[in-house]
Amino acid sequence: MRRYAFFPGCFIRVRLPHLEALSRRILGELGVKLVDVENFTCCPEAVSLSVDKMSWRVMAARNLSLAEELGLDILTLCNGCLYTLRTVNQELKGDEELRGRVNDALSIIDREFRGLIEVRHFAEILIENLEKLKAHVERPLEGLRIACHTGCHILSPPEIMGFDDPYDPVILDELVEALGAEAVDYDLKTLCCGWTLSTYGSREASERLLASKLNSMRRGGATAIAVICPQCFHQFDVGQASAARRLGVEYRLPVFYYLELLALAMGFSLDEVGYRYHRVRNREVERALEVAG
Amino acid sequence: MRSPHPLRARPIVIGVAEACLRCVVCCAVETHFCHVQFEEGFDERYTYVYHCLSAPDPASNPGIWLCTACHKCEEACPYETSPLRFIEAAKAEAYKRGLAPRLLTGIIAQITSTGYLFPITPSTMRRRAELGLKPLTTEAAEELRQIALKTGLAEPRGEP
Repeated sequence: MRRYAFFPGCFIRVRLPHLEALSRRILGELGVKLVDVENFTCCPEAVSLSVDKMSWRVMAARNLSLAEELGLDILTLCNGCLYTLRTVNQELKGDEELRGRVNDALSIIDREFRGLIEVRHFAEILIENLEKLKAHVERPLEGLRIACHTGCHILSPPEIMGFDDPYDPVILDELVEALGAEAVDYDLKTLCCGWTLSTYGSREASERLLASKLNSMRRGGATAIAVICPQCFHQFDVGQASAARRLGVEYRLPVFYYLELLALAMGFSLDEVGYRYHRVRNREVERALEVAG
Repeated sequence: MRSPHPLRARPIVIGVAEACLRCVVCCAVETHFCHVQFEEGFDERYTYVYHCLSAPDPASNPGIWLCTACHKCEEACPYETSPLRFIEAAKAEAYKRGLAPRLLTGIIAQITSTGYLFPITPSTMRRRAELGLKPLTTEAAEELRQIALKTGLAEPRGEP
């Protein structure tokens, strides 16, 4: 594998730093060299900054220009960061007039977008190196039945994101099965986690959505959830705990960021992957992981 | 006197509203199910997208802020319209007119003053230190402030 400008994203750096620490360690063990870029800022987040697309583009182009200076592609841990940085990168590479306007704004801080790099999500790197990943599995996660939630912003628009089929995503399932776990199918697989609804909408609606999604996962036979996006992780963890309390229903579906599952399969303990920071836990799942170890 | 329709200057966007036949594929078909359909008042007869497209003044419709830009509606539309473009245009207009929710203006202020989407709390710093991670710094935000001044993002807006 190779060197990348490491872009963990605000959510992980501020709210879920245990995932940053684990990602550095696990990706390092797989041979991915992560280079820190001190001046990276928020990507910026696309839903909020959609009120001013030019500012969104210029701030994203600033981050891209920092990686260009190092001659490195960006590797991110977040679907939202991937959406912003890849979309802007592609727009500016393909539209000279727009690139000129963005660079005019960037000139105020003596920076320039040149269109020299690509933006990658860690899941893309892993699926491209699946055999190498399998070689690192020391204790297969047998007995774990996992509902995979790929998330919206790595899937759409497919002509830009190019990761998987937005209507029938299977790549995360492949990654999970490479660890020896079983990826289960469920009918609401492509339904959003509801992050924006919980932020700008009503708590009740967000909980109704979560209840539908979690029930669908349970009907599919899942005992745990896998995600590749920190917002989705937070929604299925903290959101699930809150919805379960308010609705009086226990779903008990612990959620794992994919790199946590990979670490477990590589022989790390639950404590080493940061399971103590999770809100939703399930003793049966913990036992299954202990048996696997 | 009532001001002109705020999105009139954007004919392509108005075209989205005119092209919509309320077929409900964008919101109510399970494989492209819109998450906002879980809000009270929406069902397969009255969808979120139609709610946005049919508002007399789209920019003052609080529902526009519920869209997460997942693109599912535009991928599903059999007439190849983009409800997302309409909603984003309405959001931009709302921001200009000072109609954006305080939460959103707060998020923008947070990003341009610290460089991060979320506030950095003592607990964040403590946990990062426990995990052996470098502390977070905010110096880079100065460049975002300069960009915001240049692009007009930092200009004062009307109060909602």
